[in-house]
Order: sequence, then C-alpha cells, then structure tokens
Amino acid sequence: MNRAGAIAGRIAQIVPTFFLIGLVVFVLARLLPGDAVSAMLGDRATDETVQRITHQLGLDRSILSQLVAFLAQAAQGRFGESLAFRVPVASLIVERLPVTLMLTGMATLIALCLALPLAFVAAMTANRWPDILIRTVFQVGLSSPVFFVGLVLLTIFAAGLHLFPVGGYGEGFGEHLYHLFLPALTLALSFSAVIMRTLRGSILAVLRAEFVDFARAKGLSSRVILLRHVLRSAAITTVTLVGLHIGSLLGGAVITESVFAVPGVGRLMVDSIFSRDYPVIQALTLILAVLVSLTFLATDLLHGWLDPRTGV
Amino acid sequence: MKRRLSIPFLIGLTILTVLVLCALFPDLVAPYDPLAFDYTAMMVAPNAAHPFGTDQFGRDLLSRTIHAAGIDLQIALFATIGPLLIGATIGLLVGWFGGLADTLVGRLIDLVQTFPFLVLVIAIVAVLGPGLNNMYVAVALVGWVFYARLMRGEVLVQKGADYIAAARALGYSQRRLMLRHIMPNAIRPVLIYLVTDMALAILLGSSLGYLGLGAQPPTPEWGVLVADGKNFFTTAPWMSLFPGLAIVLTGLGFSLTGDGLADLMDVRR
Amino acid sequence: MISTIPLTRRATLGGVMGLLALQAGLSQAQAATTGGKLVFGRYADSLFLDPVLTDANVDIWVMTNIYDTLLLPTANGQGTQPGLATAYEITDGGKTVTLTLREGVKFSDGTPLSADDVVWSLDRARDPKAGPWNSLLASVDHVDAAGNTVVLRLKNPDATIIPVLATFNTAILPKKAFEAMPGDTMDDKAKAFGEKPIGTGPFVLVEWKRGSSMKLRRNPQYWRKADNGQALPLLDELEFQIIPDDSTRLLKLKAGELDGVEFVPFARVKELQADPNLRMELWPSTRVAYLTMNVRPTLNGAPNPLANLKVRQALNYAMNKDAVIGVTTLGLGKPMRSFMSSATPLFAPSPLYPYDLAKAKALLAEAGMAGGFDLTCLTLSGNQDNLTNLTLAQQMWSAIGVRLKIEQLDNPTLTAHYRAGTFQLRTAAWTDDIADPSEITSYFAYFPNIASLHSGWQDARADELYLASQREIDPAKRAAQYTEIQSIYNAAAPIVYLYETPYPVAFRAKVKGFVQIPLGNNIFEMASVEK
Repeated sequence: MNRAGAIAGRIAQIVPTFFLIGLVVFVLARLLPGDAVSAMLGDRATDETVQRITHQLGLDRSILSQLVAFLAQAAQGRFGESLAFRVPVASLIVERLPVTLMLTGMATLIALCLALPLAFVAAMTANRWPDILIRTVFQVGLSSPVFFVGLVLLTIFAAGLHLFPVGGYGEGFGEHLYHLFLPALTLALSFSAVIMRTLRGSILAVLRAEFVDFARAKGLSSRVILLRHVLRSAAITTVTLVGLHIGSLLGGAVITESVFAVPGVGRLMVDSIFSRDYPVIQALTLILAVLVSLTFLATDLLHGWLDPRTGV
Repeated sequence: MKRRLSIPFLIGLTILTVLVLCALFPDLVAPYDPLAFDYTAMMVAPNAAHPFGTDQFGRDLLSRTIHAAGIDLQIALFATIGPLLIGATIGLLVGWFGGLADTLVGRLIDLVQTFPFLVLVIAIVAVLGPGLNNMYVAVALVGWVFYARLMRGEVLVQKGADYIAAARALGYSQRRLMLRHIMPNAIRPVLIYLVTDMALAILLGSSLGYLGLGAQPPTPEWGVLVADGKNFFTTAPWMSLFPGLAIVLTGLGFSLTGDGLADLMDVRR
Repeated sequence: MISTIPLTRRATLGGVMGLLALQAGLSQAQAATTGGKLVFGRYADSLFLDPVLTDANVDIWVMTNIYDTLLLPTANGQGTQPGLATAYEITDGGKTVTLTLREGVKFSDGTPLSADDVVWSLDRARDPKAGPWNSLLASVDHVDAAGNTVVLRLKNPDATIIPVLATFNTAILPKKAFEAMPGDTMDDKAKAFGEKPIGTGPFVLVEWKRGSSMKLRRNPQYWRKADNGQALPLLDELEFQIIPDDSTRLLKLKAGELDGVEFVPFARVKELQADPNLRMELWPSTRVAYLTMNVRPTLNGAPNPLANLKVRQALNYAMNKDAVIGVTTLGLGKPMRSFMSSATPLFAPSPLYPYDLAKAKALLAEAGMAGGFDLTCLTLSGNQDNLTNLTLAQQMWSAIGVRLKIEQLDNPTLTAHYRAGTFQLRTAAWTDDIADPSEITSYFAYFPNIASLHSGWQDARADELYLASQREIDPAKRAAQYTEIQSIYNAAAPIVYLYETPYPVAFRAKVKGFVQIPLGNNIFEMASVEK
C-alpha cells in the first residue's frame, strides 16, 4: 500500500467527520432542555423581554437556517459571539485552550513517567510482592474521586506545606508549569493507573501467548522474543491507550479545572452547557474534536509504524 | 508456570463477597436506618456508637456507607456491561472481517471519541435529566467505543500473529479462528480494562454527584457521599473519608479479582 | 467598628450594624493605609458591565465600584444618601423631582460630569426597549436639564422614585464616550462600552479575563473623600479572581493568595472565626430563602394539592424552621417573619407558622389529605444549601405523610419550568436590589408582574394595595398598605417560609474597611490593606 496515499486518504476522511461533528453538536446543543435567553435573563424577566432578546440574537429563526449559518461560518473559522459573555467566542477560546492543552500534556507526561517503568516491574514480578504493592498503590489512585484527590493535594502541598500555589494559572511559562503541577498530577493519577494495568496485562499476555511458543518453536532466542514482542506490544498498547484517552483526559479536566481554579476550556465547556451558550458549546466541541482527531491520526500512524501488519 | 489461586485473588474475592453481602442484606449489617436523622448527634466524630461518625443530619455514616454498596455495585455493573457487550462484539466483528464495515465503524468510533467523554455524559444527562438510569443510558451511548476500539486493535494484532498464520495453514474455518483463537486472546486486555472501567464507573457516578447530576437524594451513594462531605472536609473529614475508602476498596476488590480471573483464563491448551 | 469588634452573630444581624460600620469605616480612614492591592475571590465572574442591560447579581454587586448613581443607598440598605446629586427636592404634589448635581465631578477619562449626561443616562435607563429594569422609571414623563440641576417630571406621584435613583440601573454614564463607541446600534455600543467602562466610581476596569480574573485600578478623578479628607479609594489596585469551588476559594484565602473571599459556606464560618489570621464578617442582608409553591388548581393535567390553602399552611406548620437554620446555616440564619427580609423597609413581622405538627396534621385532615400525598420539588443541581433544606423537608414532611421527591436540574431547564409554571415546588432565594419594599412585593404579591413569581397566586386586594402604594407619598399610609399586603400574603402562604441569612465574607486580618450593604453591593472604596 502506498503510505502517503493512505495518509492523505485518512485526512480526507477527517473532513466529513468534522462536518458530522458539527451537525451532531448543533443538534445536541439544541436538544438540551431550556433555552439560552431564559437562562440568561432568569425567571424574573417578562415574556416580551425574552422574545425581544431571542429575536435580537437570531434564535427565533428556523433551526435549519441557524444550522446552515453555523456551518457556513464554522467553515470560515468564525464562531460568532458568546451569549453569556457577549464577546467573540474565538477570543474566549484563544485565552483558555492553551491552558487546557498544557494541563493535559503535563498530565500525560506524568502518567507515562509513573506507569511505564512500574508496569514492567509489575509484569516481571507478576503476583509477587512488588507487583501487588504497585497494583495496590495505583488502584488507590485510580479509585479516588478527582475532586477529593485535588482537595487533599491542595490541603497538604499547597495550603499546608506551601510547596505549590493553591490554584490559578500564573503569568509566564515557568509560573504556568508551577501552577499546573498539582492539577496535572491529579489528572494523571487515574490515567497512569489505567496505563499501568493495561500495559502490565499486555506484557504478561505476550509473555504467555501462543505465538511466543510458535516463535520459540521457530528457534528464535528468548531475548529476541522479548525485544520483538514485548517491547513492540507494550509500545502499541501505550500508543493506543494515550490516543484512546485523550478525550477522557480533556473531559476529566472539567472537574480538575474547577477544583484548582484553572481557567481552561473544560470549565468553560461545562459552564456553557449549563448556560446554553450555544456558540461556545459548538465552537469548543468542534475545536476539541479537531484536536482529538489529529491525535487519533497520529496514533494510527504510529500504530502502523510500530506494527506494519495493521496498516494505516 | 503453575496455576493456583493466588493470595491477591483470594483477597479480591473476599472484598467482593463482603460487598455483595452488604448489598444484598444491608439491613442485617447496618446498625442504623441510613435515612434516620438524629439532631442530638450531628457531625459526631467516629466513636463506638458510630464507627464512621455521623453527617450534618446526624445520620450514621457506617449505615449509609453499607446501604450505598448495593447502589454502587449496581453502577459498576450496569454502567459497564452494556458498553462491554456492544463494544466487544462490534470490535471483534469489524476487526476480523475488515472492509467497509470496519471503515464506517472506525469513523463512528472516532466521531464519538472526539467528544470529551465526561462532557458528553454531562450533556446527555442534562438532556435526559439527572439520576442513575439516565447515567447508564448516557454511558452506554458513549462508553462502547472504548471497548470496540480496544477489541478491534487487539484483533488486528492477533490476526497478524504468527500462530494465526500457522492455524490458517492448518485449514481452520473462519468462525473457528475468530471465536476459538482470536477472541480468547483478544478479549483478555478488554476484560482487564473492564475491571478498571468498573472502578471508573463508580468514579463517574461521583463526578456527576459533584455536579449534582448523579444519584438523587436521599439515596446514599459513595460518590455523592464523598461530594457531600467535601464542604466539611476541614471540620468533619470522616464524612468524605469513609465512603472514599469504600470506593478505593471496591476498586481494589475488582482489580485483584479481575487479574486473578485473567490468570485463570490463561489456561493453555 | 468592624475592624475591632469581632462580628458576632447577634451584632451583625441587627439592622443598624451596617450603618455603624460604614460610618466607622469613614472616620477610621484616619489611620487607614493608602495604596496597595487587594485580591478578592469571587464565586462567579461578572457577565456584562452595563447597568441598563444587565440584571445579574454578579454584575450589580460590583458595578457600584465603577459607576455612581445620583443618590446612593445608605449602608443599612433602607434609605438614600447624596451621590452625584448633593440634594433633591420633591414638589408639585410629588410630581416633580429637582436634583442638584455635585460640582467638579469628573469621569474616569477626565471629562466633567454634565447635566446632559444625567438626562441621557436616565432616558436610556427608562427606554422600554432597553433593559429589564426600565419599569423602575415608568412614572417618569420626561427629564430636563437646567444648568446644574436635573428635573424629573412624573406622570403621577411615585413613592419609589428616590430609592430608584439610588439603584444600579440609573447609574450615570458619559454620553459622548458611549456614543463614540464602535457599533451601529445602541446594543453594540453598550457591548463595546461594557468592555472598557467609564464611570465616576472609585475604580476603573483595566483588564478582564472572562471567567478568570478582573483587574481594577484606582480612579484618580473620584469625587468622594473620607471624613478626614483622605482621598478615596484607598487602594491602588483591586483584583477579582474567580474561584467557583468553595473549598479552593477558602484554601487560597488561608494560604494568603487571596485577601478576601465572598460566599463562605456556613459550614466553614466557625472555623474561619477561630483563625487568628482571618476575620469572618457576616453582613446583614435582605436575602431570604424559601420554597415557592405552585398554587394553580391543576398541574400537568392532574389536580394540584397545593391549590388548597390548608395544605400549604400544613406544609408550613410541619416545617421546623429552627431545625433547618441549625442544620443548613449552622445557626447563622434567623426564621423568616414575612415574605420580605427584616432588613427591608416597611417590613411588618408576624410569628409565621411556628412548628406545630398536630396543627399540620389537623389541617391536612381538614383538606381531605390525611393520607398524605406526593410532592416534587425542583432545585438547582449541586447547590448544597438547597439540597440540605430539601433533605430536611423530606424528613419533616414525612411526619404528616407527605412524600417529597427531590429533582435536581440545571439552571436553564429549571428556568424553563418556572417560566412555564410546570413546577410543583421549587427552591428559591431573593435579595432586594433597591432600598424599598416595592421590588420584592411586585414580584411576590402583585400578580401582573410575572404572575406572582410564576406560582399563579393572585389576590385582588393585594394587587390593589400594591398599585395604590406605588403612588402613595404619605409614609404612614404607605406603611399601613404594606402591613396589609404582608398579612394577606403571609396568611395565604404561597411559599414555604425558611430563613434569612447574612452575607458571609472573610478577609485576611490585615484587610480593613470593606462594606457589603444589605442590597448586596460590594463597596471597596474604603478598603485598605495594612502593610
């Protein structure tokens, strides 16, 4: 197969995916009960006021014409104005997206640093005490509610020992790193447990799998088996998992950002859902979808490179 | 390698047995009515009468934690079984047969997965209304893709493996290859993930509880109990701590049992 | 003397405490440090800093730091004091109000305040097409400027016109600067203006990161001086940080990253009171918390038990308000004694439905509901106080056989139910925005204004009294009208009465001089941070 052509094909497939996403988001946002204007004006406004503002915002036009307008604008990269904040959606997102990207990036890095080495140790010592200890510790991390872990970390390391700031984002790159460490750690805990467990399982599976026997039977030395199968399988699993969980991580950022007062898109997203701020919901979902799709593409390419048999 | 019931597996089984007993017979185990107020014993620290302390209504937290076991085991099961069955089946089929169905399902998986998971669940629960049943629906609509993707990936790996080539050479049928050879090997990581996912499901319940969209009061549910206790964290930490420990212990029980089962399933022919 | 006397519960809930505090704050400025920066943690960000087009508390409560009104509410929230106008006179049988403008007032951009700005601002505020609050100025026929005075000619005598001139939506904006804003329509201009507002208030907005932080700087042009002649505001910089999570906001305060925070959960008040580095302030407020009942005869096609007066009274008698106050507010609240708070002018208290289970049961039996019934209450998801109240109600009402179901929904869904009148019972809270009982009364008891808060409750006599009171300029007669309205409403019990609560605000010990008036306005002009 022509690799470049295949990649181009994948990219070509992404475009209709985006169109579909736009459609789904638009419909989902409109399915939410209640409407933006009532939410904005509250229960004390008169019906005339609600009607007037609804008209002003163009929300009384037919759904179809709103959809067409939305898709046409989105195709040009324009997303309109936030209903709640009355500023361009783009400026809101430009302010916040880097924060969330940095947070999830740091969380992924921390999770990998914790999980990779320990997964190998656990698999090599399967069901002996290092393995049990490692699994138990990760399980505690996995099973703790994010908001609770966040609160405990804040109470101990920030408010208690003053090692980290309690929340916020700071100014400048170094400050950002410093402010985002605890939230990233919080976000990483459950993710690292997922990686560790799956990786441990897949390493064990390779070690015990039939094809290792086949390979042995073919006369390959055990070291080659380890190198070829275990490492490759581990890499595939890791890449798959990271790709698989980017969406979850971005979603998990919702609560983490709330607890740590991090001004990212996760919080903006939930606030927008809860205020029916359609333009923000639509734009954010689309942009996140683009990012996640690109991650998937990268994952698949890596996958293909690591294991040529699966193709692109 | 010798097969036997490992100690961790037994520990896991014990934890789950205790939990199931609590879930089945809460009234026999719990010392108090989990909904009964006691204005004379509000926010009491753990003591002999209330080993887990009481909440701001004077309700006994041990009894509430025990009564929550049923709900939380239900969450762990209901929020994962649907996605597992749907996802694994689809993943196996499209992974093995490939072709147009594979491409279409692949795009559908991508489509669902491009939405941040929690946000999508929140949106769906917002549409359907808060509560556990709607949470299950939301999770089933979204969660199957994790299993499908994982299963499909494993099937592709196994499909290309040397032993399949060998088995093909032996002239085995497609069905036999898929069900007898590919599936048992490909399902293992999926089952391992399932166990993790059960713990995650309980956590999702608690995240929704934090936002007020999870189990509705006065139903005691661990995640909601932790979330409720959060405001009293500095003055009455036991309110969050014990339900939180219950979540951790349950997660541990699932994972130890799951790993043990995975080992047992790994019997060679 | 908020800086020296710890605010005990009893002291702060007295109505005059706030007034004393503000005067104390002014004379105390003698010793007050000037300069420096105060960082204040808020639970939610402002949305739109235009006084005419917004009505959200998150805007109203901070807008007074940027804009001024002709008159200002007094610190006890019950009267007015001079603002941009130094004096006013009511003549012509209450149909003419003449205001004298303060000399030498400048906007933050340096341009002087003129009578034209005042006329323009009031005309905009009363334009029926402009904002949700225009009806406050509905009695105004036209506004004229004459030199240094502004004259309001009214269609009829209006008892509320003076407090209205001290309410946020009659704030005075610079006409020229506003009209010079980009945009074709007034709404577009307002949007642009709200980004970089220009007012005569103590602070100027310099940076705003939505949902994250808002930075304000001292307005050097500000007209107001402290009693000792010190220029106000005392601070150089004021920063609002948005920290929605209660626990995190308090942790930041404790760690010294914030100088003050709003909305301390009642569960945490005692703990902060015990912390020597902090000062817990409980400001008297007009906030009341209650449950609104839908009293329409049928609801979603089924007969509605709450249409029966005896059922509503039974629910009230079965509700132990003291127990609710003990559990939800940890003793910091006090029982409601009318639908309006005790800090509202013309408040006429009565011992409302003391806890009496026997009476509640008897009333239910009389209503033919001895076997109890099912009831569903809507509430905002994630709101702990409301949830606690409902958990208590669930238990208390089970004693009379009423089975309460709690349904948590998000804000837009709830609002849709409220507006459509498709709720049975809902949690609710109210804060006055104006130093007069007319606002709360118009929403609670005057049917044409949003159908008595969507409950469907109507009483012809209450409507008539309300309309008469709006034109009554004899204070004694008006007070009598309000006493009657309150007794009619309270006897009809369209709500389940709960409690009043103070505004819980906490500061680092070194911060002095913050004032929150019962209407909610956060006043920072006399705040200072000791070095």
